[in-house]
Amino acid sequence: MKQPKKSSIKTQLKRENLLGYIFASPWLLGIIVLGAFPILASFYISFTQYDMVSAPDFIGFKNYIILFTNDDIFWKSLWNTAYHVAIAVPLGLLVGICLALLLNNKIKGMSIYRTLFYLPNVVSIVAMSLLWMWLFQPSFGIINELLSPIYDLFNMDPILWYQSASTSKITLILMGLWTAGGSMVIYLAQMQDIPVSLYESAEVDGANWLQKTFKITLPLMTPSIFFNFIMGIIGGFQVFTIAYIMTNGGPSLSTYYYAYYMFDKMMSDNAMGMASAMAWILLVIVLIITIFALRLNKKVVYLGDEG
Amino acid sequence: MKRILLTFLIIFTAVSLFSCGGDVEDDRVEITFWHMSPVGDPSYSSMKTLINNFNDSQDLYFVKATGFSFWDYWDKINVAVASRTAPNIGLSTLDDVVSRAESGVLYNISDLMAADTSTTYAIDLAEFRTNQLDFAEYEGDLYAMPFSSTTRLLFYNLDMFDELGLTEADVPETWSELETLAKMFDVVNDGSVERLGFDPTYGDTTYHGWLWQSGLDFFDDDLMPNLTTQAHVDVMNWILDFNSDFTRAQLTAFGEANTMLGLDPFSGERVAMIVSNDGLYQTLKTSNSDMNYGVAPIPIPDENGIRVNWSSGFSLEMYDNGNLTEAEETGTFEFYKYLLTEEIQEDLGESLGWLMSHISAMENYVAGNPILEAILEEVDYAVDKVYVPYAPAWHASDWQTYYTQIQDGDLTVLEGLQAAEDHYLQKLENYNTINE
Repeated sequence: MKQPKKSSIKTQLKRENLLGYIFASPWLLGIIVLGAFPILASFYISFTQYDMVSAPDFIGFKNYIILFTNDDIFWKSLWNTAYHVAIAVPLGLLVGICLALLLNNKIKGMSIYRTLFYLPNVVSIVAMSLLWMWLFQPSFGIINELLSPIYDLFNMDPILWYQSASTSKITLILMGLWTAGGSMVIYLAQMQDIPVSLYESAEVDGANWLQKTFKITLPLMTPSIFFNFIMGIIGGFQVFTIAYIMTNGGPSLSTYYYAYYMFDKMMSDNAMGMASAMAWILLVIVLIITIFALRLNKKVVYLGDEG
Repeated sequence: MKRILLTFLIIFTAVSLFSCGGDVEDDRVEITFWHMSPVGDPSYSSMKTLINNFNDSQDLYFVKATGFSFWDYWDKINVAVASRTAPNIGLSTLDDVVSRAESGVLYNISDLMAADTSTTYAIDLAEFRTNQLDFAEYEGDLYAMPFSSTTRLLFYNLDMFDELGLTEADVPETWSELETLAKMFDVVNDGSVERLGFDPTYGDTTYHGWLWQSGLDFFDDDLMPNLTTQAHVDVMNWILDFNSDFTRAQLTAFGEANTMLGLDPFSGERVAMIVSNDGLYQTLKTSNSDMNYGVAPIPIPDENGIRVNWSSGFSLEMYDNGNLTEAEETGTFEFYKYLLTEEIQEDLGESLGWLMSHISAMENYVAGNPILEAILEEVDYAVDKVYVPYAPAWHASDWQTYYTQIQDGDLTVLEGLQAAEDHYLQKLENYNTINE
């Protein structure tokens, strides 16, 4: 009697691996075609003169050299973006945490409040920008209407908000805080995970709300704060849409952010090579800041008791 | 179970890939054409009829057309041209034909015309304006044909004129007349501007437009920036001083109110006069506006003023992806010529609401309509902006920053013009560095 042929474990493993690759192939194909290829292509294009009509012409490091040594707007846009990140990220963290602390209470209708604060994140950024333009409009906007008693009291001119180079960046940052509900949800999720026993023990020891917040809640929330910090930096360096809609990069280039300049390089100047070089410079900047931030991770983030 | 899933995956992939193939209508040679009349657009049916009529008349060729909205079209065509997947025929901007011709992505229309043995749809160059044909020329040959034109002119509200006892005879012809008349229409209430007579920064006005009327320009014949002469300063000062009775904040608030309310200041009766293009006529027509208005040439400087306005027409282009057979090339040119015939240009003018480039076609189209006749007359004085390779958007993103700073008073006129000139020079230097 012939014995049925038994496949070895090795053969079976190979078959399973093959099946795994086949099933993962749509995703792998997607990441190669839509992810890896454009990334590598843009790296090559950054060393070329490419007007999107003629074939790219290799020019070495010239795009990078020009950007660093003979492009005033490059530095201006980088400064604007750095300013935005430096103010908007910490402010966004602060507002998000405060909202989460406020909404981490057991009161009636809390889910409605939470939804209301999250709602701006699902509103179209175009609609949101137009709405805020109305609110911040210096002559007939509601914000200056509300502030008019203060202006009268101190005998000062109304703030020009996005119409003045000195206040435009801050205006866009303040507007961005409207979407702090997005990070709030993450903070809330982590707050829910903090064991109640810790608060009970603290209460037994006589701790008040402030002490519980600073000694228990915030330290245990550091992983999510850190996550939002990193995401905020990455997102902050890509700021574009609000300036494009609200200010066209003005006044006096005060809201002409790095991504906006990159967009203009590509769309207005047809300088795809230069735009790609800018994209890679941005990647390196974000990478360096992220690596630096990750080094802080061990020092500032609570990852549980060791041993 | 795994086998079933695997079989399903293979079938799904195969079906997906096969479905990517195009429809095969018949065995005629297929010509692809991209236009700006997508499904749902009011002009879609007319465009479809024009194409169907061509297809019905052909035994050898068949046009497969795709319509995109105006706003989507540019990204699509630019990417397609760059990746050599452009349609056989498409529209683009007339003022930068030279850049595409230089890059070798366009067919030489002069060569095709010379070699054309077909007796149908001949292109009559005499029916197209020289000021447009010049922009379609590269090294002495045509690489595109003017397809449509835009013209800018003064729209004035006759109801408001009536209010002040004025008639069309009072329509301003010079800058000083414009200034005097405009002030009569200004209405201010509690510090906020409710109505303006005119503003030289509103509507379709541009600094280069005012410069052209004064015999000046941004660049000299060698495309070197030339912005800091006293004459340039004077034109800018005229713009700034025009509504100097109001603060910049008042004017900005007035302008933003229009924008935020989605109001065209002229059709919203917030300005008595405005420089706009032929599109405003279409807007007023489609909105069934009962406003009593007229159009006239843009007023010119009192001394040595030049009657000129900025055009920004489309070109009709045949894209060379390097893979057309002789039959495809012949068929494409046949359809290309068809689109430039008098009858089709007239139909397109009617359905798209554009001013087409064919002179007789447009003369037929506007006959009996005084507003359209006046608009068409201005096309003879319309000029496209020059293509500057080192600053293709010289009139837009490059210039607007400085223009706004000058208007806001952040820079003096001379400082702003000097800064703009320095900016162009830096761009030129960088362009030369990467193209040397």
